Amino acid sequence: MTITGICLRRQRCYRLFLLPVVLLLLHVCIVPQARTAEKSTELLIGIEPEHNIFDQVLGYKVLAGYLSDKLGLPVKLTIMSRYGEVLDRFRSLHLDGALLSSYPATLAVKKLGLVPVANLVNLEGVSTSKGYIFVRKDSGISGVGDMRGKSVVFVDKATTEGYLFAMSFFRQHGVTDPDSYFSRYYFTGSHASAVFAVLDGRADVGSAKDTVYEQLVSKDRSIRQELNIIARSPAVPEVTLCMKNDLEPELLEKLRTSLLTMGQEVEGHRVLKQLKARRFVLSDPDSFAVVLEMAEEAGYDTLNGGGSNR
Amino acid sequence: MKASMRHILRLLAVLFLLLASPTLSVGKVLVGVIMTADIPYYAEMHQAFVDGLKKRLPGDDDIQFILQRPFPDPIAWSNAARKLIAIEVDLIVSYGAPATQAVLFEKSKIPVVYAGVYEPEAEGITGRHVTGCGYRVPLSSLLRYFKRLKDINKLQVVYSSNEEDSVRQMTELVNLAQQQDIALATVDIRSQGDIKKIKSIGKGDAVYVTGSALAHVWIEDIVSLLREKKVPVVDIFSDSAETGMLITLFHPPGQQGEKAAEIAAKIIGGEPAENIARELLRETELVFNLVEARKLGINFPLQLIVEATRVIK
Repeated sequence: MTITGICLRRQRCYRLFLLPVVLLLLHVCIVPQARTAEKSTELLIGIEPEHNIFDQVLGYKVLAGYLSDKLGLPVKLTIMSRYGEVLDRFRSLHLDGALLSSYPATLAVKKLGLVPVANLVNLEGVSTSKGYIFVRKDSGISGVGDMRGKSVVFVDKATTEGYLFAMSFFRQHGVTDPDSYFSRYYFTGSHASAVFAVLDGRADVGSAKDTVYEQLVSKDRSIRQELNIIARSPAVPEVTLCMKNDLEPELLEKLRTSLLTMGQEVEGHRVLKQLKARRFVLSDPDSFAVVLEMAEEAGYDTLNGGGSNR
Repeated sequence: MKASMRHILRLLAVLFLLLASPTLSVGKVLVGVIMTADIPYYAEMHQAFVDGLKKRLPGDDDIQFILQRPFPDPIAWSNAARKLIAIEVDLIVSYGAPATQAVLFEKSKIPVVYAGVYEPEAEGITGRHVTGCGYRVPLSSLLRYFKRLKDINKLQVVYSSNEEDSVRQMTELVNLAQQQDIALATVDIRSQGDIKKIKSIGKGDAVYVTGSALAHVWIEDIVSLLREKKVPVVDIFSDSAETGMLITLFHPPGQQGEKAAEIAAKIIGGEPAENIARELLRETELVFNLVEARKLGINFPLQLIVEATRVIK
C-alpha cells in the first residue's frame, strides 16, 4: 500500500470517528437549551414510600392539588417502589422532582445536579432527623463490643438514619466486616418495622429514624421503658423537595415561594395539617455534607455505587 | 515380693480410676429425656435435639435415648426424673421449667441439660451439674399487636398455678396490662375440669396463653371453645399444629433443641457441665394467622402484616 493510500484511509477513519463526536457535542450543547426553552406542561414528583403509605399518599395528594392551583399546571405524584430508587427513576420516568430523605437527596444533588428547594418542618418544629441505634434494655448489650454474634435490623441501604449512620458507627468501633461480626442482618423497609423488630426480639440491634421512633413512643410509652438508645447520629435534613436543575427559573421560583408561604393562607394550612407538618423552610445545600461524611466513614462509594459498600 | 505386690496394687488402682472416670466418650451413652406430654412445641424441640446430637456424634449406634413423657403434674414429673436416675443414664435432658426443677430436686450427680425454660435465672435453676439454654419472649409485644388490631374489653390470661414459669408470665402480664391501661383477668388451669372456666370469657375479650404445659395439653379444646365466641387467642408457643392461634410470638423450639444438642455433645465429650455457659436465647418469630382472622371477622392492616416472620393464609 502507498503512503497516499494510507493517508486516505486515515482521513476516512477520522471522518467516521468525528461524525458521532460532533453529533454528541451538538446533543450536549443544543438539546438542553431546547429543553429549557420548552415550557413545562406538568410536573411529575416522586415520593419515597413510608410505613403508612396510605396516609402518606393522601397527604401528598392534597399538596399536589394545592401546587397545581398555585403553579397553574398539573402537579402529579408517583410512588417510587422503594427507597434508593430515585436515581434510576429520574432517568427512566423523567421525573421533574422528588420528595427525598437525606441519603437519596444527597446522591441526587451530587450525581444528578438536582436543586434542593425546601424542607418539610414536622409538628415538633424540626426539619431534621437523627439516626438511633437501639437495643432491648434486657438484652445486656451496652456497646458494639456486646453485639458480636447478634442480629441487626436496618431499614434500607439507602437511608441515612436506618443504615448509613449505623454502618459508620460500627466502623468507628472496629467492625469492618458486618457479615462475620453479626450473626445476621436484614432490612425491614420501614423505620417503624425496625423498632418493632427489636421490641419483639426478632432482632437484637436496630437502627431507625428518631422522628418515627419518638412518634411510636408518644403513642405507646412502654416502648421507651423497653428500649435503650445507645447511639445518636448528627441531624440531617429529613425530607427535602429536590427539583431538576433545567426547570424554567420562573417556575422553580414560583414553586419555592408557594411552598415557603403556604402557612400564610387558610388553604395552605389545611394542606400542612394533612401533611402533619408546620411549614416548609428553605433548603440549605450545605446540610447534606454531613451525610457524605457519614457515607465515607461507612465505606460507601457514593460517586460510583451509591448504595454499595466498598 | 512386697514391692511387686505394691506395684500390682498401684496398677489396679490406676485401672480402677480410668474405668470410674466421668468421661462419657467411651462405650454406649444413655441419654434420658423428659418431654412433657405430647405438646408439639416440645416435640419439635426434641426432634431438633436428637438430630443435632446424632449429627455431632457420628456412630450414633452408641447413643441411646430414653424418652419419658410425663403428664404435666408434679408427681408425674418427679417419677420421670427418678426413673432416669435409677436407670443411671449418663445425661438427662429436660424440656421446660417444671421438668427441669423435678430433676434438680432429686439432687443426682448426673449432668442435666435443660431447654425450653423461660428465664432460667428467675426460675432459680442452679447447681454444678446443670447447664442449658433458656428463652425469653417480650410478652408486651403481643399486647401491642392486640391493641393495634382490635379493641379489647378484657384480656384473659390462661396460666397454671402448678407451673412457676407460667405464674411469672401471668404476673408480668398483670403489670404490663396496668401500664397499658388494659383490663385483665386470669384463668388458672390446674386440671381438665378448669377448662369450663373458659366458657365464662366474654365475647369482646381476648385470650393470652402463657407457656403452661398443662394449658397446652388441652389447647385444642380451649381454642375451639373460644372460637365459638369469636374470641381471639395469642400464644408464646408456636402453633405448629395450627390449632387456631391468631398471633404467636415465640422462640423457635428447633433452635433450642439444636443448642441443647451442642451442649450435650460437649458433656458427652468429657467437658464438665459447670464449664459450659448457660445461654438465654432471645430471637423470636412472629406468626399471624389470617385464616383464623377471617373466621373471627378481624382485618389485619397491611402495615401490621409486614411485621410478621410468617403469615398463615
